[in-house]
Amino acid sequence: MNCLEFRRRLGSEPACTLDAYVAHRAECIGCAAAQSRADEFEMRLRRAVGVPLPANLADRILLAQTTTLRLDVRNRRRGFSALILAAAASIVIAVVALNRPAAEMPVLAAMVNDHLHEHIVSAGEMRVAVPRQDVIDMFAQRGVTLAEVPAGVNYVHKCPAGPYKTVHMVMPRNGSAVSVVYVVDAPPQSRADFRHDGTFGREVPMGGGTLVMLGSSRQGFDAIEDAWKSALGSGVAEAGVAQARLAGPAVPQAGLLQGRSRVAAP
Amino acid sequence: MPVNSPVSNRQHQFEALVRGHSTDLYRYAYWLCGQDALAQDLVQDTFLRAWRALDTLREVGAVKAWLITILRREHARLFERKAMPADDIDDFELPDPQAMPEHRTEESALRAAIARLEAKYREPLVLQVIGGFSCTEIAALLGLGEAAVMTQLFRARQKLKGQLGFADQVAGVSEP
Repeated sequence: MNCLEFRRRLGSEPACTLDAYVAHRAECIGCAAAQSRADEFEMRLRRAVGVPLPANLADRILLAQTTTLRLDVRNRRRGFSALILAAAASIVIAVVALNRPAAEMPVLAAMVNDHLHEHIVSAGEMRVAVPRQDVIDMFAQRGVTLAEVPAGVNYVHKCPAGPYKTVHMVMPRNGSAVSVVYVVDAPPQSRADFRHDGTFGREVPMGGGTLVMLGSSRQGFDAIEDAWKSALGSGVAEAGVAQARLAGPAVPQAGLLQGRSRVAAP
Repeated sequence: MPVNSPVSNRQHQFEALVRGHSTDLYRYAYWLCGQDALAQDLVQDTFLRAWRALDTLREVGAVKAWLITILRREHARLFERKAMPADDIDDFELPDPQAMPEHRTEESALRAAIARLEAKYREPLVLQVIGGFSCTEIAALLGLGEAAVMTQLFRARQKLKGQLGFADQVAGVSEP
């Protein structure tokens, strides 16, 4: 290595450990001095790049991880009891669904609602859209093949709702978050709009399962429903749609009850 | 005889990973996005993904590069959602110089100069200074050629020195 090569390398990698580099520095006084000056600059550079750290950074990361871990373990445990409960719940759903008033929360949606109370999605987890492939994979793990992926899925996770398997998503719409839960293995439900305890919801049979939407208003429900109908392809129970839309309660004004959400503050 | 479950071993491994690398990862994330809160989120998301994929980590020696790769992907996802301009110094939340009385003038000037660098110069430089990566490793991480990385690092230092008025002994040396 000659002086020119050494200086070029010095300018781009002052901590270079190549044999030729080290050997040249040892035999050339000028280059050794240049290395000393470069080392001084590197020290300043390291100090400047080393911005102050947030307090307890590692502890907070570990806390977030253990919280996620606990949730995963709990969800797995629930899977066992879910099998036992499945048959009984199916009967309850069938009986209650036949007799319920139109605007009350259906049993399946209530199970989803209960799950959302326990599984709080933080604002940080749903800040940005998840990759399309993650959504495809999550549905695939539930045995569902998607024809396409609707835009704007900012959170996706496999979750239980009562005894049933679901894919739990969050799709922000016009500033408020809509919890969208696709229940894979529940008996087919009829389409229904409902409102319960400040929560607006819609249950739609779709692609062999049931799509449940819950939010602080019905804003975005139609668009989300249409998007998922396309995504889930055939098998959509269209027969009940028109009837349920006619029978469903009046849609409230957009923006009402904005504070009601299943999404935790950051 | 006490027996460590695989879960607790995995947890210990993960904890060591967090304690050993969160500092470097945060600083790298900070210089990538220019915002403290966003950098913290990026680091947290990176470690959560790392936790889920921990079983796929085969080479313990390459763990830092592995984490950096995950963090870069997380950052790229942010870009997919919305443009996150970090090339403009106005977008950088630089630390308050008053908080660091010693060397504050020089340090804050150098930080501002680093923030002013184009991302293509800043990123390899930060990887080298924080991560201690060689040009070859940086080239692999960024998906660039080694010669291109050397040029970017050379120019990055030249620009910083030029902005700060440091007498530069490599002036007159052509780029690699």
